[in-house]
Amino acid sequence: MILKLSWRNVWRNKLRSLVIIIAVAFGIAAAVFAGALTNGLIDQKMRIAIESQTAHIQMHNSAFQENMDIRHSLPDADFFSEQFAGRDDIKSWSGRIVSTAMLNTANGTTGMKLLGIEPEIEKKVSAVSEMIIDGAYFEGARRNPIVISQRAATKLQVRLRSKIVITMQDIDGEIVGAAFRVVGIFKTPSAMFDEGHAFVKQSDMAKLLNSDKIHEVAILLKDIDRVPETVAELRESAPENVEVLAFTEVLPELAAINDSGWISNLILLIIILLALAFGIINTMLMAIFERIREIGVLMAVGMQKLRVFSMITIETIFLAMIGGVIGMIIGDIILRIVSRNGIDLSAFAEGMAEFGVETIVYPSIDTKFYLLVTLMVVLTAIFSSMFPAIKALRLKPNEAVRHK
Amino acid sequence: MSIISIKNLSKTYNPDTIPVHALRGVDLTIDAGEFTAIVGPSGSGKTTLLNMIGGIDSPTTGEVIIDRQNITALSAGELIRFRRDHIGFVFQDYSLLPVLTARENVEFVMQLQGKAQSECDQRVDELLTAVGLRERDNERPGKLSGGQQQRVAVARALAPKPRFVLADEPTANLDSRSTSDLLDIMNRLNQDEGITFIFSTHDQRVIDRARRVVVVEDGVIKEDTVVA
Ligand SMILES: Nc1ncnc2c1ncn2[C@@H]1O[C@H](COP(=O)(O)OP(=O)(O)OP(=O)(O)O)[C@@H](O)[C@H]1O
Ligand SMILES: [Mg+2]
Repeated sequence: MILKLSWRNVWRNKLRSLVIIIAVAFGIAAAVFAGALTNGLIDQKMRIAIESQTAHIQMHNSAFQENMDIRHSLPDADFFSEQFAGRDDIKSWSGRIVSTAMLNTANGTTGMKLLGIEPEIEKKVSAVSEMIIDGAYFEGARRNPIVISQRAATKLQVRLRSKIVITMQDIDGEIVGAAFRVVGIFKTPSAMFDEGHAFVKQSDMAKLLNSDKIHEVAILLKDIDRVPETVAELRESAPENVEVLAFTEVLPELAAINDSGWISNLILLIIILLALAFGIINTMLMAIFERIREIGVLMAVGMQKLRVFSMITIETIFLAMIGGVIGMIIGDIILRIVSRNGIDLSAFAEGMAEFGVETIVYPSIDTKFYLLVTLMVVLTAIFSSMFPAIKALRLKPNEAVRHK
Repeated sequence: MSIISIKNLSKTYNPDTIPVHALRGVDLTIDAGEFTAIVGPSGSGKTTLLNMIGGIDSPTTGEVIIDRQNITALSAGELIRFRRDHIGFVFQDYSLLPVLTARENVEFVMQLQGKAQSECDQRVDELLTAVGLRERDNERPGKLSGGQQQRVAVARALAPKPRFVLADEPTANLDSRSTSDLLDIMNRLNQDEGITFIFSTHDQRVIDRARRVVVVEDGVIKEDTVVA
């Protein structure tokens, strides 16, 4: 009965209720959309970082990360083949020789992380091979081929087939150098990655360093959600001096961005909902003001305070929830439409590259976010209902009944 | 047997600022089955008196005893329940809930009491028939005339089988036709079902139909006449 009464009261002043419902709906739709955009950006950033740089899991010699001393190497690839055999969570993995190196040309010099890889194996772990914009990913049988980024190419003023002299410290600490020829130029969406990475063949690098020991094992799983478990299992079985890192540990900023994305979504949501709460409260206080006498009569004929309180509370919650649900539906529809083609943010291309994402963003949302929005809308509804309901309770039947 | 007994009742509004002595020492006894008019000029204290009897307002001094129960001693919550179960109210402006149909308005208080739907249905049919509105039971008040709304209000007041019905100027907004229809209905319910009515009024035609007339002036009872 109270439900019926509250529901019908919502529609007493249709225009006023519709205005607030629409306001709530648009607010929620906007929050959902903005949240999805942030999410989309973060998802993309993660995906790109995983694809081009971190894979899902990396293993190193525990001492290697500190100063990249190539003497802190990992066991041979055969060891890992054995380790990973029979694990069906691992999709692919690649062993890399890693060293800092100077790249020199007549026109410039730049320091980089040089990765010595087996192209056919690396292809299955990293998507850099698919981001070649000029030349090819180690095709043909040239001696000492190197694949560099477009940014590096610009900096060093080199083109395809240009020569680059690379100098490094070998396993004995001697400075060694060799000439490499550019066979491919890549461009990932991440400016930072591009500025700091170049690829050569593992055998070429081993020869130069006088050591064929690998320093990094990058692992791609079949399911990203398995990462924490697999990391834990690999840690169990790894030798003592081998560390196993999830991608969020390899690039802690990824975890931080993910967290701050959630926080900013939450803050945005709270701001929008607070604004909406004031609108709802205002609407309901107006409704109660108009109904002072009616509420007085209800109390006179024997409606208990708790029921009066519920009636107003439920009416307010209806207002908020109708708007909230419509808003989520609108938000979802917009998302479905927009995420098909993505949103073109090429106007902010440079900033997007700095952040490490493409210029087309596909807003995305997960159930967790919808649950959060739902929860927050419910909380807002309850919060907003308190003031009007208490206001109604404060009415004294004798005065309310006399109210004109 | 008296169902209402008022002793030395007084009410002062705004005692701390500009005191208004709405009632000053009223003694009154009402017996079951009465059909009593409270009359008096505007501002004389009629509404105040009815609100005291109905437990909507609390007296400054004195007590209101209904069926041996001193209602001035009840807590706010107990008073609400007491009103719900024992007192019927009719207001000048009908005061039906505009969002409920005539039927829903009548059964409202029974619903508050938690009565079974079948019991409500039966009682509502009975009452709407008695006030001649059985056919319009699904209309909302906005679709009914003032006289019809007030008849629904009488049915609502009677639904929980109260000990008596308080009606504050029930005919003040009605034309003479509706006034006499309503009085016919109230009178019949009084005669046939023994329902006690206490109503306030200015209207001489209504006063003429009462069987007891209590005249209030300046917060005191000036006259109390039982009409033969
Ligand atoms: N809440 C209140 N605060 C202050 N004074 C009040 C209040 N309610 C009523 N009064 C005063 O008490 C006196 C009695 O009022 P009451 O409403 O009982 O008169 P009444 O006989 O019902 O008048 P009417 O015929 O106009 O309805 C009046 O002087 C009125 O102004
Ligand atoms: Mg009055």
